Amino acid sequence: MAFIPSRRKRHQTGSGEVRLQLTSMMDMFTILLVFLLKTYSTHGQLINPSQDLTLPSSNVQNPPEVGLDITVSSDMVLEDGRSVIGWILVNGKPVEKTANLDEMRGYIIPNLQSVLQQYAEEGRRLEERFGTKFSGKVTIQGDKQLPYRLLIKILATCGQSNFPNMRLVVYQTEG
Amino acid sequence: MAYRPSKRMRRTLDTTPPNITPVMNLMVVLIPLLLSSAEFVRLGVIELNLPPAAMGPDGTVFNQMPVENQKKLDLTITITDRGFFISSSMAVLSGSIYGEPTIPLTGSGTYDFVSLSSRLYDIKQRAQNQFPDAEHIILMAEPGVDYQTVVSTMDASRSIRIDNHWVGLFPDVSLSAGVF
Repeated sequence: MAFIPSRRKRHQTGSGEVRLQLTSMMDMFTILLVFLLKTYSTHGQLINPSQDLTLPSSNVQNPPEVGLDITVSSDMVLEDGRSVIGWILVNGKPVEKTANLDEMRGYIIPNLQSVLQQYAEEGRRLEERFGTKFSGKVTIQGDKQLPYRLLIKILATCGQSNFPNMRLVVYQTEG
Repeated sequence: MAYRPSKRMRRTLDTTPPNITPVMNLMVVLIPLLLSSAEFVRLGVIELNLPPAAMGPDGTVFNQMPVENQKKLDLTITITDRGFFISSSMAVLSGSIYGEPTIPLTGSGTYDFVSLSSRLYDIKQRAQNQFPDAEHIILMAEPGVDYQTVVSTMDASRSIRIDNHWVGLFPDVSLSAGVF
């Protein structure tokens, strides 16, 4: 014989309210938050890595700095068969085809030099008028396939165009 | 008269679940914010400072000729397609066979950066207090050597890992155009 449910005791059934279990979600979010806070860097992205080149990797620990941005990509064929022509870009504006460099004699690239000297003059004018120091800093992003003969021409041109402080941009690997 | 039994004794703690909705709100805002500003590739820079051009911008020539009678090391690494040559102003460090690179390629045809580092460590130990330019190294490469190899050579000559410590070798790198 079944018992008749007691009338005196309160029963929990049928209260109608169902609470959502948020505890496991909280756990997940807490872990995510800690991870993201750890990878958070206060200085932000000072250098925008270019799309169509792979930087070399290095175990250097120096953080990136702000400077005039020179990007050098080399001619290559992408995975889907399209070929990309390598350009030298200064602050995102194309200056010279990388393929033309091989035919030049000497170490100075005339187009690059004239553009760099414009930037240097501008920097010096700003220094005179507003007192912002012209540091002659230049960050160079080169493709890791770039041969040394082209690299040295670019570096030589920067050095001769009032930008003697060069920064080679690399991917940091854990050292 | 007896005391009334304490109510505290038999009080049942009814656990109310904590109200986590505000914390959830915070998470929902913070996570997209941090996710959007997270950088997943870390960039670094290698410093490479040239002396300013000998000819000043206004046409004046700086008279900064190097002092001749100072004994300098002028350590140079030359990267060739057969391996590394290490040389100084006095001599070229020859490999095991005369005329071969100081550190030849490994058996699989890759550059031997580990041997290069340990060899440079030897040189650093000896040159430490004898030369004024014992921090400085000149890098030279054949025209076809790619950028990654140059950067890896800089890494190998900058520091070496000994017993889990980084020991500095020659952090001050200059590139030389070499003879093309």
